[in-house]
Amino acid sequence: MERREALRLLATAAAIPLVPGEMAALLRAARARTQTAGLLRTLNPQQNALVVRMAEIILPETKTPGATAARVNEFIDLILTEWYSPEERDHFLAGLTDVDARSRSRSAKDFVTLAADQQTAIVKDLDLEMVADSVIEDHDHSSRGNRHHAPHNFFASMKQLTLTGYFTSEVGATDELHFQIIPGHYDACVPADPNEPSK
Amino acid sequence: MRAGGSERAEQIVMPETYDAIVIGSGMTGGWAAKELTERGLKTLVLEAGRPITPEEDYVEHVPVWEVPFRGLRNRKKISEDQPIQGTCYACDEWSSKFFVSDKEHPYVTPDEKPFRWIRGRQVGGRSIMWGRQCYRWSDLDFEANLRDGIAIDWPIRYHEIEPWYDYVEDFIGISGQAEGLSQLPDSRFLPPMEMNCAELVMKDTVQKYFGDERRLTIGRAAILTKPHNGRAACHYCGPCERGCITRSYFSSVNATLPAAAKTGRMTLRTHSVVHSLIFDAKTRRISGVRVIDAQTRQATEFRSRIIFLCASSLESARLLLHSSTNEFPNGLANSSGELGHNVMDHIKHGGARGTIPGLETRTAKGRRPNGIYMPRFRNVKEKYSGFLRGYGFQGGGHQADWHRGFTQPGFGAEFKHTMAAPGPWSFEFGGYGECLPNHNNYVELHKEKVDAWGIPVLHIQCAWSDNELAIQKDMAITAAEMLAAAGAHDIEPYTDTAGDPPGFSIHEMGTARMGRDPKTSVLNSYNQAHDIANLFITDGSAMVSSSCVNPSLTYMALTARACDHAVQQMKRGEL
Repeated sequence: MERREALRLLATAAAIPLVPGEMAALLRAARARTQTAGLLRTLNPQQNALVVRMAEIILPETKTPGATAARVNEFIDLILTEWYSPEERDHFLAGLTDVDARSRSRSAKDFVTLAADQQTAIVKDLDLEMVADSVIEDHDHSSRGNRHHAPHNFFASMKQLTLTGYFTSEVGATDELHFQIIPGHYDACVPADPNEPSK
Repeated sequence: MRAGGSERAEQIVMPETYDAIVIGSGMTGGWAAKELTERGLKTLVLEAGRPITPEEDYVEHVPVWEVPFRGLRNRKKISEDQPIQGTCYACDEWSSKFFVSDKEHPYVTPDEKPFRWIRGRQVGGRSIMWGRQCYRWSDLDFEANLRDGIAIDWPIRYHEIEPWYDYVEDFIGISGQAEGLSQLPDSRFLPPMEMNCAELVMKDTVQKYFGDERRLTIGRAAILTKPHNGRAACHYCGPCERGCITRSYFSSVNATLPAAAKTGRMTLRTHSVVHSLIFDAKTRRISGVRVIDAQTRQATEFRSRIIFLCASSLESARLLLHSSTNEFPNGLANSSGELGHNVMDHIKHGGARGTIPGLETRTAKGRRPNGIYMPRFRNVKEKYSGFLRGYGFQGGGHQADWHRGFTQPGFGAEFKHTMAAPGPWSFEFGGYGECLPNHNNYVELHKEKVDAWGIPVLHIQCAWSDNELAIQKDMAITAAEMLAAAGAHDIEPYTDTAGDPPGFSIHEMGTARMGRDPKTSVLNSYNQAHDIANLFITDGSAMVSSSCVNPSLTYMALTARACDHAVQQMKRGEL
């Protein structure tokens, strides 16, 4: 089935009898045929490599795909290019530069060429600083995602974009969250199954 | 104004003539179209915006990974084209196309009196993106102005509208729980939606500690919980404001307009911006309307025996103000001087939220497009000294998802696993408070500024009074005390006056109020203009007070009632 046809089907009542798994499979098959590697418009190859690596450290491949497989870097590039203001973009890119500076001060290497445990140590520092940083502006927990600004702290931006890029990707939403486009029913208060999240 | 407009050609084109013209195809226009056509009238429905084709325009099943910004919205485009509309939660990456461009549809306010006007111009109007909450008014509302000595008395009482509530509800299909409360009469309900874990905790708490005066019930929503009149039950996909291919929630596109079309007597004309109404001084009736084609800018006229104005409260007032004549220099049908005045909305952004402990092992499956409702409890049984009238609470239980990771420490495999699982439950009460009618809250035509079609824009002057602000404060207090009683953690009471200018509840009403006395009101008790017998205004304009409940159901009941009255008058030869 062509992608366009899959989307058309989803837009009609004909989709209702489909079980959610079938629907996700339809969409994925359709997408696989048309998907091409995205061209990056803001991140240069070095910055991109850092973003890819750091996103994978935040949300690694486990039993399910990680940030790399979800192409979180392409989402971040889109946000940097079309969503962030020039100031917010520069601030984020300066954050990447700072990560490499921290890395070189440790062992004279860029972040991406550091040993994994060293990379993790840097990310841990950044994470602790983020928590300590009182200027985290965004407390919006709604799933509708109407956020209006980038956070000031670089790692807060990185983490938010990684979480968003991953859990709103097709692999993140389907493999990890088991998102069903058409649940078909509402179970108001049931035991949570740790292996089967609800969204 | 003539079609074609060439002076030399002088071709007289007889305007198309109908029994009725309905201006607007939204919540009330759809009802007028259905009721008038089903009663045998050849009816022209004029819609300023574009047509809507559900199979193409509805996007509720487009998953988040198929929209470019993954639900974060096109920030730059919104800030350029829809800085006002974009403040509405429903104007998201899928549904922003159902909201107007603020560039094309400007309005003006004094700097110190912001007003947020959220608008939809397409077939279906705002009934496509509405909140779907449906509540009957009671005599507590219809007698309120008389009791308090405020503004003027409603010319109707509950028993007069009750059969029309029954009538529209039977067609709409409203899910909800009967509660037997005098201040919030029960509708004719379909089965209620279920309360989630946090809501069940709160319901028990309210019953235990506040049971004498307060009640928590499930939201009463125009969403089907079982098949109804050929429309399917809700499948819990969640975002109704993006459309509904199974027509499970009520909108004019989903329900009333198809019913009108089925009669074969409706002509629905889109891209038809009504410029003004044509008043015939001899008959003292409206003979027709002038229309500008939104795309070609061509002017046309249409004639009819009766007019139903259903363009939304502010737009209807604007149209009448723009249709002034020698007889009505201050706006058509405005001998009272009340046209455009008494603008009301509901005050919100007062409430509280908190975390409900003890539910960590529970979750909900499916996305219920509805919340809870707590009927008004202030000034119901006993007089409350803090303010007049009252408020109801909406809101509900919510379970945190991966967004909670934005501000939490952690990364790696365990963090990923935790964020994928549902998080803590919270509960939020958000109040909707009654707004008093006030002559000094009004709209008028701006002297210079015009919209994209050359029609003067509105100058809106509207502000909350101390009574509304006192209500908003009380919302935060009573919400917080209920959360505390439920053992909630991290309770955050809030009032946000700056974030809640009038208009933002999107319940604007009152600009052409009903009343018994033509000297103090624009419409009689059947939504019929005192000054012009064949003009009916059945959108929110007609409201004399605002109650605290969502108004659409009452607009719909009043519209159906007015249509019945108009057709009876026509049959008797009075129109």
